[in-house]
Amino acid sequence: MFTSENIKPAFKAAIPIMLGYVAIGIPCGILSSSIGLDAVQVFLMCALFYSGAGQFMIPNMWLAASPIASIIASVSFVNTRQMLYSAAFAPWCEGVSKRLAFWFSATVTDESFGVNTKMFEQGGWSVERATFVNVFSQSSWTVSCVVGVLVGNAIGIPLAIAAFAMTSIFICLLVTQKLTVANVVAAVCAMVGVFVCKLVGLSGPAIFFGAIIGVVCAIIFSRVREKVS
Amino acid sequence: MEPISWTGFWIIFGICALTILACRVLPLFLLKGRELPPRVTEALGFIPSAAFAALVANDLLTPGMFDAGIWPAAAPLVAALAVVIVARLSKSLLWSAVVGVAVYAALIYLF
Repeated sequence: MFTSENIKPAFKAAIPIMLGYVAIGIPCGILSSSIGLDAVQVFLMCALFYSGAGQFMIPNMWLAASPIASIIASVSFVNTRQMLYSAAFAPWCEGVSKRLAFWFSATVTDESFGVNTKMFEQGGWSVERATFVNVFSQSSWTVSCVVGVLVGNAIGIPLAIAAFAMTSIFICLLVTQKLTVANVVAAVCAMVGVFVCKLVGLSGPAIFFGAIIGVVCAIIFSRVREKVS
Repeated sequence: MEPISWTGFWIIFGICALTILACRVLPLFLLKGRELPPRVTEALGFIPSAAFAALVANDLLTPGMFDAGIWPAAAPLVAALAVVIVARLSKSLLWSAVVGVAVYAALIYLF
């Protein structure tokens, strides 16, 4: 496992993710410190929660005065996409020890999923190397977020600008999804759902309800299209 | 805005950490060669688009957003458009974040 044969190619594959996490992690740390999280709390989140979207959402929603239950529901719902990644990696983990499979699956992110999937498909890749990609990425994320907390006040970047880094990431994650009609229906309905929720005073759970509305509309659209064709 | 308390932190962090761990680990261990029913896979497949669209809409759209004038609300929309173009061309989270923040900051400070 801990051989240069595994570590070197994994590090090479992880470099783009690590650089990206530096750029995103520092604003995330700054944003986290703005709601009173200290370096220890942010370190714990990076080590045991490790979700870029989630770690941006928590301070954003806290700043928007969302209730705790709404924050938990929204963050957890957004993170259910991890189930897809986990299911997709299942065939590659056949015959791998339980401990390694757990370590690997517990440290997958959107970005490392993309890189490792590509490497597995190209061939010559292993779960050991994929796990190192995850670990290198997580290390970069953790250090960047903690640095963001420590230097946050000194840098003095306005919150709105720091938070826009995550909005940009969400936009990138959205527009790089598979461009199918059903996905477009899901996205448009989710956006309309969020707007309507806010319009009727449900700003707190707007993300959660909006996303549910998007998924339900896409399922209905698929069923109707199946029946028609 | 009241800073988050340790109790609030533990509740949010603890539950979110457990749910994401379950989402990350359980499917891999439960499947072991088996596949999810197609209907479930299809529904799960819609979650990323819907979830990210909801997050984007939550950041960019608010009823009455143009009440204080067109530009304060239009600036993030213009920056978002720049991000869409960069994201489609580069498919890079890093470049999307860099361009988004740069364009948004430029629009705020210059206009």
